[in-house]
Amino acid sequence: MTNPTPTPLPPHTKIDEWPAERLGLRKFNFRLIARLTGMLLIYMALCMALPLAVSLLYQDGAQFSIVISAMLILMLGLFLRNFVGRKATFDLKESESYWFTSFVWLAIPFSGTIPYLFSGCIGSFTDAVFESVSGFTTTGSSILSRPEELPQSLLVYRSFTQWIGGMGFMLFAVAILRKLGIGGEQLYEAEFSGTRQRKLHPHLSKSVSRLFTIYIILTVIMMALLLANGTSVFESLCLAFSTVSTGGFVPHSMGLVTLSDGGLIVVTAFMILSGISLAQLYYLFTFKWRQYGRDEELWTYLGIFFVVATMSTIAFTTAGNDFRTSLRYSIFHVASSMSSCGFYLPKPQHWSFVVSVLTFLIILMGASAGSTGGGIKILRVITLYKYIGNYFTHMIHPNAVTCVKVNHKVVEEDYINKIFAFVFLYIAFIIIGAFVLTLCGCDIPDSICMAAANISNLGPSPLINNLGGNLDYSILPHFAKWTLVTLMVAGRIELFALIAVISPAYWKRG
Amino acid sequence: MVEGGLILSCLIPAFHFADGTWPAITVSGLFTFNVGLFLTVSYHEARRITDKRMAYLLVVIMWVVTSLFGTLPYLATGVTTSFADALFESASGTTSTGATIFSAVEWLPASILLWRSMTQWFGGFGIVLLVLALVPSMGINKYSLYTAEASGADNTGKQTTSMGATVRHTLGIYIFLTLLFIFILWKTGLHIWDAVNITFTNISSGGFSIYNNSLGHLTHLQQYVIAAAMLLSGINFSMLYYFLTLQWDRLRNKFDQLASYLVTFLLGALFVILALAIKMDYALPDAIRCGVVQTISVLTTTGSLVADTSAWWVPITFLFVVLSLCGGMAGSTTGGLKAMRVLILIRNVRKILRDRLHPRSVNPVRLNKKPVSEEIITNVMVIFLVYAVVIFVGIMLLMLSGINATESIGATIACITGYGPGLGTSGGFGCYAAFTIAGKIICTFLMILGRLECLTLLILFVPKFWSRG
Repeated sequence: MTNPTPTPLPPHTKIDEWPAERLGLRKFNFRLIARLTGMLLIYMALCMALPLAVSLLYQDGAQFSIVISAMLILMLGLFLRNFVGRKATFDLKESESYWFTSFVWLAIPFSGTIPYLFSGCIGSFTDAVFESVSGFTTTGSSILSRPEELPQSLLVYRSFTQWIGGMGFMLFAVAILRKLGIGGEQLYEAEFSGTRQRKLHPHLSKSVSRLFTIYIILTVIMMALLLANGTSVFESLCLAFSTVSTGGFVPHSMGLVTLSDGGLIVVTAFMILSGISLAQLYYLFTFKWRQYGRDEELWTYLGIFFVVATMSTIAFTTAGNDFRTSLRYSIFHVASSMSSCGFYLPKPQHWSFVVSVLTFLIILMGASAGSTGGGIKILRVITLYKYIGNYFTHMIHPNAVTCVKVNHKVVEEDYINKIFAFVFLYIAFIIIGAFVLTLCGCDIPDSICMAAANISNLGPSPLINNLGGNLDYSILPHFAKWTLVTLMVAGRIELFALIAVISPAYWKRG
Repeated sequence: MVEGGLILSCLIPAFHFADGTWPAITVSGLFTFNVGLFLTVSYHEARRITDKRMAYLLVVIMWVVTSLFGTLPYLATGVTTSFADALFESASGTTSTGATIFSAVEWLPASILLWRSMTQWFGGFGIVLLVLALVPSMGINKYSLYTAEASGADNTGKQTTSMGATVRHTLGIYIFLTLLFIFILWKTGLHIWDAVNITFTNISSGGFSIYNNSLGHLTHLQQYVIAAAMLLSGINFSMLYYFLTLQWDRLRNKFDQLASYLVTFLLGALFVILALAIKMDYALPDAIRCGVVQTISVLTTTGSLVADTSAWWVPITFLFVVLSLCGGMAGSTTGGLKAMRVLILIRNVRKILRDRLHPRSVNPVRLNKKPVSEEIITNVMVIFLVYAVVIFVGIMLLMLSGINATESIGATIACITGYGPGLGTSGGFGCYAAFTIAGKIICTFLMILGRLECLTLLILFVPKFWSRG
């Protein structure tokens, strides 16, 4: 695999001075970041065409608010792109990619609240931010206890935010960066945060476009299958968007109960698929099946799914449910938790503790690296597992010469250290988040589960006892909602970017 | 053997208070004494074996056997008839955890009370000795759990050279502190019997009490004295030794750990005081007293209680869980992850960020202004992760044994860190009596696991450990 040819950087005309410089903070290419964010916002405004079309089709009366919101986002985007970022120099340093990530995650979810607020569907700003962040981070936690009361167009918009978020607008950004002639490798890595994704093509933008194609194909197939199983056009559109992105917004407070059996199978299958790395799916669709034998992550993912589903079926059956219900619920529930989709069905009559604990475990592990799902990621879990096994060997035979291999490649110490640090941060975030949630009056197990479910971008989970009837977060106080919003973003951008911009080291002149 | 002696020394209160338990105590004491003699002989044999595996095995056997024989006084005197209960209580003593299965302790015979306190005193000393003297001398390698404390991070070279000297110093400090606090407590008007028991359990960061309401029984002044004892018990014993022998320049070698330990304590105490004063309507002096004493009790994983903490505001109890996970300094009697590990974990994150920001710079993780080697960082990371996994598995097993989620979380963390009181019924002045036998055995296992910092015990379960070659 060769690196793409280095692109010649445009000559440095002048690095813009930003007020931060005068405050003694490090200088960074603020204008470029503004410009890129502006471009993303413009794309987002264009995306509002879809909800608008739905609105016109269903005559749900939200068309004006959508048009106005789109205009507002467009104006904001144009302002950032053409005014703030007009004189940008096209040079993005490694450290600035963190800024870019964080800034984008601030700008897009916040402008994403505009449609909710304008149409008056969600009254309070906090709630709108919660819903919007939950959408773009593909979490799927909702504060709507009765989503069906919203106009259809906004429900489509809601699921659509997940779809956009799932692909990672960072990947859009990477594509844009290529066009501007700036290397986007750091961003590509930031998006997959150091899990060393194989590129599908030496050219970065081509890899991105391939991934994107797969994503669209999956969505279309899923929608078609749902339609074939008797789901309405509107609902299959929403469900396809939120399943493929592992989001989990459901346009109905009844959840998925209304689906036919066939529909449920389609949703389950696509949940499992969307927990697999997009690159692997690309090989599937291009018939490069030989790649599968090599990929440990894929098989571990499927293996864990199979084992956990079996165990929870047994647990439910022994708890006193009949086998069919147990099997059906287990498969659905495990697929949903593992891929971090966060769909749910009504609980079986007798709940089992075993399932609670197993679920918590797979929520933390999450999906494959390079998929749209959240969590620590299977690849990291495999690496750590092997490393600790190796460590034990060394404790017994101190002079043994061994190495840790994942996917037939030796893993360096440096990389393992990063993974360890990542897991430490992950646990630390969950503990701190849970602590803040207890301050808001939640009990301890609930707080821990809520923090874990949101940092893993899962959303609603039957593990959390004291939520609304629709597993919605509307009953939480505002402070708790902001905590969860932070956790969702932290989980989606995989912690380091967030830690980076709040750490003093980052702000020093460097 | 030492233990046999200890049990026999319990005869003193047995005779003194004439509570009729002396025959039982004598029998169990003599029995333990004989077994101890046998084990000591085999230990001397074993010392000739230089295999690392033997070292791990020995450490584990030391704790397991001590816990097993510690059950004898409980069973012989008949204060409990169930072996699981006796084992739980005994392990809780030798690991200086302080979790108890007795819902009320005041009716227990005096000799048993002294025995409980003594197991903790002995256990607390054992762990200090293990970390500071035995492990370095047994030559456990760089992949061992105590690497960080025993060799690496403290690579000043001029540590006390021989094992004998370290043992003497440590023992000296320990006895000195014990006598000092017994004396102070006695001076503040406490009965000598109470003073001895309370000092034994608090200087070892154990937390057994001879009163149902633990420290609540004492005057405010005495509570502050105990807090000081606990605070000292959370400090590395070599550090105390250097301090008392006026070798103050050597204190610098562990200054970072000490600072982080104290800062954690202050921040935790501040939060608890504020929460008590604002949320729970404590008067300010009470809030300060309870906040300070209880926070230090939690951070050093002692588990002595000034009030029924299970009734406190939920975030405080959650904070306690987190603080007990942090623990005191390594090389002290406390449990938990230890201040140094937490520091290294946090500084490693900072290092990684710096590496990202300035890819060509060299950013070592520093501790006490000295770079920490890669091996130690990995060691810390592995222990952290194994700790997390063990806690998770512990919670799962306890839930399976029929205990609800909150209590499982509380009990697991209380047992593995050696804090003692959990959440819910096992928390506060409550006890573990309501747990099923399976639950008690899991807790017992967790206590020993936590005391030996997971790896030593877990490695026995790796098949390779037992294979030849």
